[in-house]
Amino acid sequence: MGVNRKKYRMGRMLTGGVTPALLASALLYFTLLQCRHFDPAAQAAGICRELIAGTTAGRQALFGSCWVAPLHILFYLPFSWLFSEPLAGRAAFWVAWFFVFWSVREALKSAGQNVLKTIMAQAAIAALSVCASNTELLQTGTALTVGLVLLCASSVADWTARRSLRDVVSAAAACAFLAMCGFNVLGFACISAALLPITALGHRETRQRFQAWLLLGWLPLVYTLGVWMLLNRLVLGDALFFLRSIRFLTPDSCQFLTMLVAPAIIMLPALALTWWIDSRAEAPGAGSVAATATLISMAVMLIACAKVFTWYNIAWTEAVLYSCALSLMIVAVARLRQPAYRSCLSLALIVWLSNAWFARDVAQDDSAARTKIIGEVEAYVNSATPYGRVFVLGYTGLDLLRDYDGKLLMPNLDLHIGSLRRDYKGQELYLLVPRPDGRARAESVFWKHPDIYQLGADRLLYAGTFGSWRLFQVVSAPTQEQLEEWRRMRN
Amino acid sequence: MNNPVPLKPDTHKPDSEAVSAIAAIDPLELANKRPEWSASQPVTAAQKKTILVLLCLLLLAAVLAPLKTAVLLIAFCTIFYTVSTLYKLAVIRASISPAAILSFSERQIAEQEPRQWPMYSILIPMYKEPETLNQMVNALRELDYPDDKKDVQFLLEEDDSLTLDAARAMTMPPGFRLTIIPHSFPRTKPKACNIGLHLARGKYLVIYDAEDLPEKDQLKKAVMAFEDSAEDVVCVQSRLNYYNSGHNIITRWFTAEYSAWFDLQLPGLAAIGAVIPLGGTSNHFKTKVLLDLMGWDAYNVTEDCDLGVRLARAGYRTRMLETTTWEEACCDLRFWIRQRTRWQKGYIQTWFVHMRNPYKLIKELGLVNFLHYQMLIGGGPFSVLINPFFWAMALVWFIWRPAGVATLFPGPIFATGAFCLFLGNFVFVYINLLGCCKRKKDNLMWWALLMPIYWAMMSYGGWRAFLQFFRDPFVWEKTQHGLSGKT
Repeated sequence: MGVNRKKYRMGRMLTGGVTPALLASALLYFTLLQCRHFDPAAQAAGICRELIAGTTAGRQALFGSCWVAPLHILFYLPFSWLFSEPLAGRAAFWVAWFFVFWSVREALKSAGQNVLKTIMAQAAIAALSVCASNTELLQTGTALTVGLVLLCASSVADWTARRSLRDVVSAAAACAFLAMCGFNVLGFACISAALLPITALGHRETRQRFQAWLLLGWLPLVYTLGVWMLLNRLVLGDALFFLRSIRFLTPDSCQFLTMLVAPAIIMLPALALTWWIDSRAEAPGAGSVAATATLISMAVMLIACAKVFTWYNIAWTEAVLYSCALSLMIVAVARLRQPAYRSCLSLALIVWLSNAWFARDVAQDDSAARTKIIGEVEAYVNSATPYGRVFVLGYTGLDLLRDYDGKLLMPNLDLHIGSLRRDYKGQELYLLVPRPDGRARAESVFWKHPDIYQLGADRLLYAGTFGSWRLFQVVSAPTQEQLEEWRRMRN
Repeated sequence: MNNPVPLKPDTHKPDSEAVSAIAAIDPLELANKRPEWSASQPVTAAQKKTILVLLCLLLLAAVLAPLKTAVLLIAFCTIFYTVSTLYKLAVIRASISPAAILSFSERQIAEQEPRQWPMYSILIPMYKEPETLNQMVNALRELDYPDDKKDVQFLLEEDDSLTLDAARAMTMPPGFRLTIIPHSFPRTKPKACNIGLHLARGKYLVIYDAEDLPEKDQLKKAVMAFEDSAEDVVCVQSRLNYYNSGHNIITRWFTAEYSAWFDLQLPGLAAIGAVIPLGGTSNHFKTKVLLDLMGWDAYNVTEDCDLGVRLARAGYRTRMLETTTWEEACCDLRFWIRQRTRWQKGYIQTWFVHMRNPYKLIKELGLVNFLHYQMLIGGGPFSVLINPFFWAMALVWFIWRPAGVATLFPGPIFATGAFCLFLGNFVFVYINLLGCCKRKKDNLMWWALLMPIYWAMMSYGGWRAFLQFFRDPFVWEKTQHGLSGKT
């Protein structure tokens, strides 16, 4: 008994502590080796900088878009507060990937898998990330999403298998955290939460307690979305501000949302199998076969979700979803009761096949480009007026200003030209607008002023193009003092 | 659940043998022999001085730097809330451990037979509750335990003629007796229990309240639990729940709270080996150890909680037992407030008693258990007292957004405060939901969503307790039972 316990503890320490730490370190090392300029927290760093400074832009950025995950920002915040760049990014990267490997252990522990298989699965996910060599895939935020997807899916699978209250709670918590990981996994979180009460309909005993599973499964998710809306109302004055970009990104939003939920159909065979096994069982629980079917279906569902986003030209979410799906597939294979060599071969096959899924890209050092754009804009504005103020729009703007210490350029997340003119009376105001490409298309400025980049807007004058950015001057009447100063200079 | 059968009055009189022995018993033994362990002196002179010095320092700081003092106090409370939330989560997480609760199946109990069961003493302190007597006798009679091994004492106050008359008019099964508690100060339940303890004949002892309905196999399970556990396990706490949960909204909330406490939190605490504040009834003891510890503190209005701490200080352990005693939830708001006042006051009393010598407490409990003690015994009333201020601030901030409130919550404190507001409160509500779900009281889960209103009621009770602690520390505000009838 004593020897078994010691062995169990050793195994726990190995798969839950030592291996995740080693693999996270290895992943960090390889990432830095492969692409020296890789930035594991590209977007989060700029937002955290504003949050620590206590600016309104920071608070708006934290909650203002469903495409920028608040959880990733909140996760990065303590690192950003404690360390300077690039240490903060690397530390966050290490912790996030540690979490992924720990999640693999949790997902396999409940299935009763041994130490070897757990380490194999953890190594396969690390190998997947290294082989793919995709900067999006290696982001800290992606790692968090992958870890939560693994926890969520494995909890749903365990709930299917054994109907333990603990699994409902962990699945519900994971769904709630996933909802804060951005819109790309929100559909997955909702479907997972929906599965909790629905799968329980198979057995007479659990069917009678439908409302309990519904409440326990859905409440954290609904509450999270409710708090997100409340904070949008408080910080941005509009409870649905973070969702408004969907209408701009997809001409037919209803169809898009329907298409996003449609992959749930993939779950039907697994659900039918679960119900069938469960209804024949004496005690609630459909067993490991139904659990594996559920896990694989969820992985396929994630791939289908990724395809929907691609069809609607929201392709930047693709890598995260594929990464989640493949990791889930790895966990599903590792949960199967088969000899270790066969598991090893299956995992290697998944890793090898995954190469085809990801477009290889090499991280570029864009700090020089950023500095150049900022320098040019500053020079232009300073030559035009000593009272200049430039508002750099959107999350892209926060990223542009992440190393900027000057006073001339300021981030702006929620553009109200009238308010800016009122608040900065007497100053020459400029707007620096990013090109609506890729991720930047989801910026709030584009659903408020769809043609701003091409045509400007009311009271805006085109001033120049700097890299992919366009500068517009806000037309406003000069104050009496400015007029007099201008006249004096003229005379 | 037991179905009480009315007993016809009989010519048999209850056993009154014990009455003569009572005069020799000192029910205040603990207060007389170990005053430092008793709440007979609620706050010692040293504690009073410490409080006075702290208050003076606080006042001085408030005068010299009011804003900084306010920020510091808020920071302290916010950190406390955060730790409290995380602590609760950890305890709930621990409650799923197999070590959390001792459980025995029907088959395991059946396998014990035939065997000799030890004598089991059952104490039932009662005061002006004649209406519950019948139900109690029936419940005890139906306990699955050999009749000749049951040693039941009804502890009745000398001046409670109502209950006394009702008891004397009843037929008592063999092994059941009346113990008349002489009228003296303080008139508390623990004092009566101390007399009962000295007259107990059993190897094990349990206390039930007058309206309790223990599960039939509880005594056998308790014996098996003691026999299966290590020698240092001297107390086994059964789970408590309410049979009248559907009576009104108060009983629904009360049941949700009890389900979370007894089905999740106490098992979690037992699993991590923390100090266990014992529940009011259905705690089973090894009689000898209880006698060695001089029984209950007659001056403490939550003597059960105090005893739990004393057991831990003496190096003993408490385990949770998978069996339920069904009680009657207080359904009247006035009585509920009185009951809650007593509980909170008792926790404050207990905290002051054991904090007379913190160094000694750390030495006896160990640092980890000392921290558990602070979170459980000190933290409970503290959070109840500070909650109204933070709710008010949150409300003011949401509605009017005054700059003054924002200045009280600089950067990290604001972040921590937001964490407590949005996540902490949700976690506490969700724990109650989980408790209901675990207890299979699904219909109560929707009501548990409204628990924040219940917390406001608790805060009212908490403030009442705090003031009463200084004014009337020994007043025992009795809970009126029988208001909702057995459902």
